[in-house]
Amino acid sequence: MSARITPMIRLFLVVALALGSFPTNVFASAKNPTTYTYLTISDADSLDPAYSYDTASHMIVLNLYEPLFQFDKTSTEKLIPLIASGVPSRENGGISPDGRTYTITIRKGVKFHDGTLLTPEDVKWSIQRFILIDRAAGPSSLLMEPLLGYASTRGDDGKLLPTVWEDVNRAVSVQGDKLILRLPKPYAPLLTILASWAPVLSKAWAGKNGDWDGTEQTWQKYNNPSKESSPFFERAMGSGPFKLDRWDRKTKEFILTRNDAYWRAPAKIKNVVIKGVNEFGTRKLMLQAGDADAIYADRPLLTQLQGIPGVKIIDDLPTVEMNPVVFFTYKINAVGNSFLGSGKLDGNGIPPEFFSDKDLRKAFAYSFDYKGFIADVMRGKGTQATGAIPKSLPGHNPNGKKYSLDKKKAEEHFRKAYGGKLWEQGFKFTIAFNTGNLPRQTVCQILKRNIEGLNPKFKIDVRAVEWPTFLDAYKASKLPIFVMGWNADYPDPHNFAFPLLHSKGDYPTTQRFKNPEFDRLVEEANAETAIAKRKVIYAKLQDLAYEEVPQLYIIDAVRYRTQRDWVKGWFHNPIFPDSPYGGYFYSLSKE
Amino acid sequence: MLKFCVKRLAFLPFVMFGVTALLFACLQFLSPEMRASLYIKDPRQLSQLDAVIEKYGLRKPVYIQYGLWLKQVAHGELGYSETAKMPVAQAIKAFFPATFELTLIAFIPIMVIGVYFGVLSAVYKDRLIDHVSRFVAITGYSLPSFVLGLGLLMVFYGKLHWFPPGRYGLETDMLVHLDTFRHYTGLLTLDCLLNGEWTAFTDVAKRMVLPGATLLYISVALLLRITRSSMLEELSKDYVRTARAKGLPESVVIRKHALANALIPVVTLSSLLFIGLLGGVVITETVFDFPGIGRWGVQAAQQLDIPGVLGSTLLAAFLFVMANLASDLLYAVVDPRIRVG
Amino acid sequence: MEKLKSAWKTLKRRPMSLLGFALIGFFLSVAVLAPVLAPPEAGSRDSYIIPQDGYSPDPVRPSKAHWFGTTEQQYDLYYGMVWGTRTAFAVALQVVGFSVIVGILLGGAAGFYGGWVDEVLMRFTDVILAFPDIVLAVVIVAVRGPSLENVMVAVTAVSWPSYARLMRGDVMSVKERDFVAAARAIGASDARILFRHIIPNSIYPVLVVASLSMGRIVITAAALSFLGLGAPVGYADWGQLISLSRNWILGSAGNPFEYWHTVFIPGIAIFMFVLGWNLLGDAVRDILDPRQK
Repeated sequence: MSARITPMIRLFLVVALALGSFPTNVFASAKNPTTYTYLTISDADSLDPAYSYDTASHMIVLNLYEPLFQFDKTSTEKLIPLIASGVPSRENGGISPDGRTYTITIRKGVKFHDGTLLTPEDVKWSIQRFILIDRAAGPSSLLMEPLLGYASTRGDDGKLLPTVWEDVNRAVSVQGDKLILRLPKPYAPLLTILASWAPVLSKAWAGKNGDWDGTEQTWQKYNNPSKESSPFFERAMGSGPFKLDRWDRKTKEFILTRNDAYWRAPAKIKNVVIKGVNEFGTRKLMLQAGDADAIYADRPLLTQLQGIPGVKIIDDLPTVEMNPVVFFTYKINAVGNSFLGSGKLDGNGIPPEFFSDKDLRKAFAYSFDYKGFIADVMRGKGTQATGAIPKSLPGHNPNGKKYSLDKKKAEEHFRKAYGGKLWEQGFKFTIAFNTGNLPRQTVCQILKRNIEGLNPKFKIDVRAVEWPTFLDAYKASKLPIFVMGWNADYPDPHNFAFPLLHSKGDYPTTQRFKNPEFDRLVEEANAETAIAKRKVIYAKLQDLAYEEVPQLYIIDAVRYRTQRDWVKGWFHNPIFPDSPYGGYFYSLSKE
Repeated sequence: MLKFCVKRLAFLPFVMFGVTALLFACLQFLSPEMRASLYIKDPRQLSQLDAVIEKYGLRKPVYIQYGLWLKQVAHGELGYSETAKMPVAQAIKAFFPATFELTLIAFIPIMVIGVYFGVLSAVYKDRLIDHVSRFVAITGYSLPSFVLGLGLLMVFYGKLHWFPPGRYGLETDMLVHLDTFRHYTGLLTLDCLLNGEWTAFTDVAKRMVLPGATLLYISVALLLRITRSSMLEELSKDYVRTARAKGLPESVVIRKHALANALIPVVTLSSLLFIGLLGGVVITETVFDFPGIGRWGVQAAQQLDIPGVLGSTLLAAFLFVMANLASDLLYAVVDPRIRVG
Repeated sequence: MEKLKSAWKTLKRRPMSLLGFALIGFFLSVAVLAPVLAPPEAGSRDSYIIPQDGYSPDPVRPSKAHWFGTTEQQYDLYYGMVWGTRTAFAVALQVVGFSVIVGILLGGAAGFYGGWVDEVLMRFTDVILAFPDIVLAVVIVAVRGPSLENVMVAVTAVSWPSYARLMRGDVMSVKERDFVAAARAIGASDARILFRHIIPNSIYPVLVVASLSMGRIVITAAALSFLGLGAPVGYADWGQLISLSRNWILGSAGNPFEYWHTVFIPGIAIFMFVLGWNLLGDAVRDILDPRQK
């Protein structure tokens, strides 16, 4: 080689080092091959499946405990038996012809982590406990509603209802090796709910460790408990492929170890570490170094994770959520409300019933830039929503009508609103979003920009508020417009239709609107078990919602997952908690 | 001397009472719904807001809540911290030693470097070394700590893999939680050595290098400034002029006479500086994933975890009074002219 | 006039002080000329809200369209920096101003009257000093919402005790001086002695410390922005702008300096602002300190 090349190589090395373009982390094989590490940002609430409602907790619960059924790999509709030995249906007699009795045979030979056998009694006790614990803001109503017919064990005065014990024993009982469930009326999504929310815990272990022993005498003590009073808060006794080694709340990590005596073949991974690391930069560096196998990151940060050697990005993963959604409050609470301005239609405020005018809501609907939002904020990923029911669920109408940015139509509806007075007078109000949520913030900014551009008398202020303030204002119906979302409890369209459109649902209650036709359709679709018929009803419901426009649906979002190349065996199911990061560690391996 | 200490310590409950009363006064402005936001994080729970308020008694007026809390504390019960998911007392025991250890390890180089260059800058006032060291100190002082932290992490962890973030790796984690591992001092580095675990020691120690360096770079400016101005004060005093006039060599003048006197304010302020450092670590702890009290205290405040906020505030007030006491005692020790009591 | 002339002479001897004046003067002119240097968008109701060029998340390097580039969410960095100068001064002056005034009044009273007035006031300042400042800031913002006013309130609330302590110490030592005794002997009232003799003579250390703290306030605001407590996103504030760089500091896979401008530009401005006030503070001390003449 000529003498001139060597200095050039040296120069290249210096420049390359400076620019950091040297591949620094190309490993021939996996780092820590028997440990899978995932870095998240959320703190889990409690490992008690009957207490916690958050995805961070349930991501762990999913791997420690097992429910009667689980979803067949990537499907959100098909169920396969897990602790049950078969999936009941009308065809096999597991579901009675009137849809009110379910007979489920329990598998034999399943053992808990301490080696004791799992019996039908454990299953019955777990489901009863899930309902009877009924802690405020917990998930108990998800099973209580279908099995008992009501949503709370306590009356308005806070006292326990007298018939609870009798109801829960009628609803859930055991006969030999079978679990019998008796419902007050048919409830189509019951099996899906059992698959998502009803894992089996060890009754004997609970009794020995200070939790409910299953008897009538003691259950009331355990109703609406404090979080840390239960042994299930930070310890686990399930039958799943992983055991809990420790939940270290100081360093914010869960350490799971393989259950070698698992009733099926043991998992391939020996240790799982789920750690909370709030700072994105730190998570990214750990992923790059191979100290983490997967990290949480949201859509805006995608470009920073592309092109890292050894790191794969899997995108276009469907979700079961409707987020963000713009909600109009029909009757705003004007007491001490700074969001309303003057409180009158005089150009300096809005009256409390501002959004009860349909033309006004339509004008807003035509003022939002759906395509621009998806292109800019979501980087072009995802498709525009066509209604309240997300794309991944049956009942979604791919041909549903949707709004688009149309300045002419927006102006037309603004001029029509309030008999023309609105266009003359103008208005002023404040939209609040809770800090730290970029998509919601951008939604507010887009609305402000586009609407203010139509008429200089239209003034919208966008304000960031902390979560406590937001919650307070939301609860009191003080927010003229709020941007929120809804995540599925279980993959059934009823879980979206009800909270979004039924007058007793969460959002319509806060928005203070009531539409009897919506109510009727939602109830009809829920009682109907034939999926084809349900789809027709949901299509009608969503068409009606398009006309009435109580809410603006924006996107059927997709998510992406970042993981190291050496992680194998992962598959996506949008119903997994914290999907696409949560899932079964059972199928994972590293090579 | 003893009477002085006792008088000061008797002051402690007053400060703690004052601080917590002030905090509760601020909390007066929170509605029950806002306080319930600690427990409601998911939109699916929104319908249960009232039930949560009832469950945790959040409708009681603030002064009643304060009274109840005081009664609780009088019985040695500090309450439960929702953000730490453990009782407040346990949280303090879990988080404080880590922060204390980190601050201690950073503090020694801060003192040494700050004093050394402070003296140098004063002696060679307006010369190159003075300008350079002050300039470098100001860059540290004016640089937001997360920029420095992430930059260091990128180079020394991202590129060189020398110093990872976090408190310890998985093996050390398992080791430290075994029953056979004894926590003698609460300082993990020391405990690893005392238990004879060399690998664990290096693991824990190397993870403190970068956060320590970050703290060092940001705080050395303050110490340098104090030392410099104190030294300048001394050097302009009459007795120094006299010593010089007598013909004593400059280094003797500096070392034997001026330095000792100049260091008096530095020493007496050191305990307060240490406490100040303890209070400012939250960003460093966040970037380096260090499980310390700064991170927990701020998280508790952000989520309105009132028992947590009160607990960490009590600790801060306690440390402050102790630091003041130490400062006054040190002052009495180093300056023979002062007699306290 | 005499005083000014001698002050100028002192300054000329120390070029660093001139640098300090120059830096602060530069920032002051930018702040005053902000509407000319970075005209707000037509129809905008608040010029402190930075205009956004679209909503895409990745910061864009400096270009002809955006001289300093854009931050995440496409906020124009040049506009933010220019108007942020106003914010920097406003925040620093208000916080330090109020802290100094409160500190002088309370510290002065404590030092002058002594006795139980001193005890009560000093115990009160002890309680405030013992309070962890970040926690107070967080609680205030949680109660009232993220805004610059609340940040200023929070920082002022914990800053005044240091000035009070300082003032008290100075007043106590000045109180013992001869000219005060002389004034008393002539029969001057307490107020007259306090305002005409004591305060003007004991105020210098306070002013020096105040000038040094001006730069510090911007850093504190940046730290609070990092914790989500500062000015709302999109507000022209250097601390807010630099905390927007947080997720982009590491650059992209191919190029760690991909987004250098988001860190460097606000960073250098903060650095120069702090440096300027530091040098200025030293200059003020040099001018006012009799021993340096």
